[in-house]
Amino acid sequence: MRRAVHTMPEALFLAVAVITIASAILALESRELVYGAVALAVSFLGVAAVFVLLDAIFLAVMQVLVYIGSIAVLIIFVVMLVRREKWVSMPAGKERILGVIASVSLLAFVGFVVLDSGLTETFISTVTPPSFFEIGRQLVTEYGLSLQILGLVLALAVIGALTMAKVEATRNK
Amino acid sequence: MKFWVETFEDFLKRIIVIVFWLLLLLPFVIFPFIFIVVPALGIPLPNANQILTALLDPLKALPLVNDLGLGPSSLFFKIAAFPGFTFAALVATGIILYERKLLAKIQVRVGPLYAGRFEGILQPIADLVKLLFKELLVPAKADKTFFFIAPSLSLALATALLAVIPLAPDIFIARSELSLLIPFAIIGLTPLVILIAAWASSNKFAFIGGLRALHQLIAYEIPMMISLVGVVILSGSLDLFGIVEAQRGLWFIFPQLLGASIFYVTMLSELERIPFDLPEADTELVAGWLTEYSGMHFGLLQLANYIKFYALAVLFTLIFLGGWLGPAFLPPFAWLLIKLFFVITFMLLPRAFMPRVRMDQLIRLGWVWLIMLAFVNLFIALLEASIGMIL
Repeated sequence: MRRAVHTMPEALFLAVAVITIASAILALESRELVYGAVALAVSFLGVAAVFVLLDAIFLAVMQVLVYIGSIAVLIIFVVMLVRREKWVSMPAGKERILGVIASVSLLAFVGFVVLDSGLTETFISTVTPPSFFEIGRQLVTEYGLSLQILGLVLALAVIGALTMAKVEATRNK
Repeated sequence: MKFWVETFEDFLKRIIVIVFWLLLLLPFVIFPFIFIVVPALGIPLPNANQILTALLDPLKALPLVNDLGLGPSSLFFKIAAFPGFTFAALVATGIILYERKLLAKIQVRVGPLYAGRFEGILQPIADLVKLLFKELLVPAKADKTFFFIAPSLSLALATALLAVIPLAPDIFIARSELSLLIPFAIIGLTPLVILIAAWASSNKFAFIGGLRALHQLIAYEIPMMISLVGVVILSGSLDLFGIVEAQRGLWFIFPQLLGASIFYVTMLSELERIPFDLPEADTELVAGWLTEYSGMHFGLLQLANYIKFYALAVLFTLIFLGGWLGPAFLPPFAWLLIKLFFVITFMLLPRAFMPRVRMDQLIRLGWVWLIMLAFVNLFIALLEASIGMIL
């Protein structure tokens, strides 16, 4: 059964969702690249707000720290260094129609899955949200191996980036 | 080209016309508000008698304010007035005056002297009035939206830092079990605002300043956060209340002296203060990313910087100096203020006698030395925790 929006969290969620989606669309559609990059940061912030509404404060803090504090800043940094005249819009062709078909079918598929999953009804969870102590404990015990593999992959990526930068530097000499 | 110069008569006429129209139009707004909107919302409104007595005796105003839900225990009062914005802004202006007097004394000058009877004590108010009356200049090629948003955004971010920082066991705005982490997540957003401000100015000095700020802030955020991991290990908590309570036996500055020094250096760098003021180096870049900002825009950016200064000083006091802990003959809040005074003085001092570092020295210090020392500090903390020094 459908209910009208009348509780505070639902109204907040609606506002946050509208801001997140609107800024995500703006991030894709804006002609001015810097506006798009800032809209992307706002969209990340909206996702963090959704995490807060779901009582996952730790996840929200991490979202702000990683996605906005590093990734969005990096994107804006790159965008600002690029001349804006070089970015000309692509002429529309067959790809455009294919893209529209693909995105509409993807939207229909995801929408069908969501509607079918039983998540359309709101309910109040009685389970207390896990504290970050519990998250930490599980990360080093149950998921210890995957954590170490992740760390190894990241270390490899950093070493690879450094090596490539070094090779470029020596070649330029 | 003809100029129209406003005489004093024109000015008075203009003011009188504005006041006349306001007096004529305001009742059309205020009366519907009082008689239709307020009863519909169910807010108890004081009558004229109560308002007059409240004006004569401020103590009688307190129950009226409480009825409106704006009393000293309400969230609005906490955010807007006491542990929140107004208090922080007052402390920030106090810091500005104290900085000028202190640096002047160290460098054998007099500093602010004429405003106010005693030692130029009204200088912040004079500065504020000057900034308010200055014209807001916007460069012709500037991006107007971002140019106007950046100062307010900067102030909003600085104020958001205060949300989870407690000043005493009973003086705080919000409590969270992650209150150590949240301020640093908010500090991580500052490069975004600086980049927006620098880009929107469309000025090469501002842009170079913004890029320098970005390099510096990203390099110093990492050692700043790693230097605090030692404290988290020793106290077993990410809650500032828990960290302060864990220091009952010994302040963390003694077992974590290295961590405290790293945090102090990175703090100066985050605030763009003098050994690390490359982003606004005024002998090279006019004023760096602040170049195009004038009048109250500049005032807002300065206020934001000093509120951030205050917030970081409080964080240092809470994390390393035992916060509000102290002998019982003074209230906890007084102990915090005393420690805060010393921390602020210590943070202001380098400006009196330090030269500016070079960009390569800054980057090397951040990425090589500070990160390495922060990891050394982490192992020291692990060692101390294993022999049970604190826990």
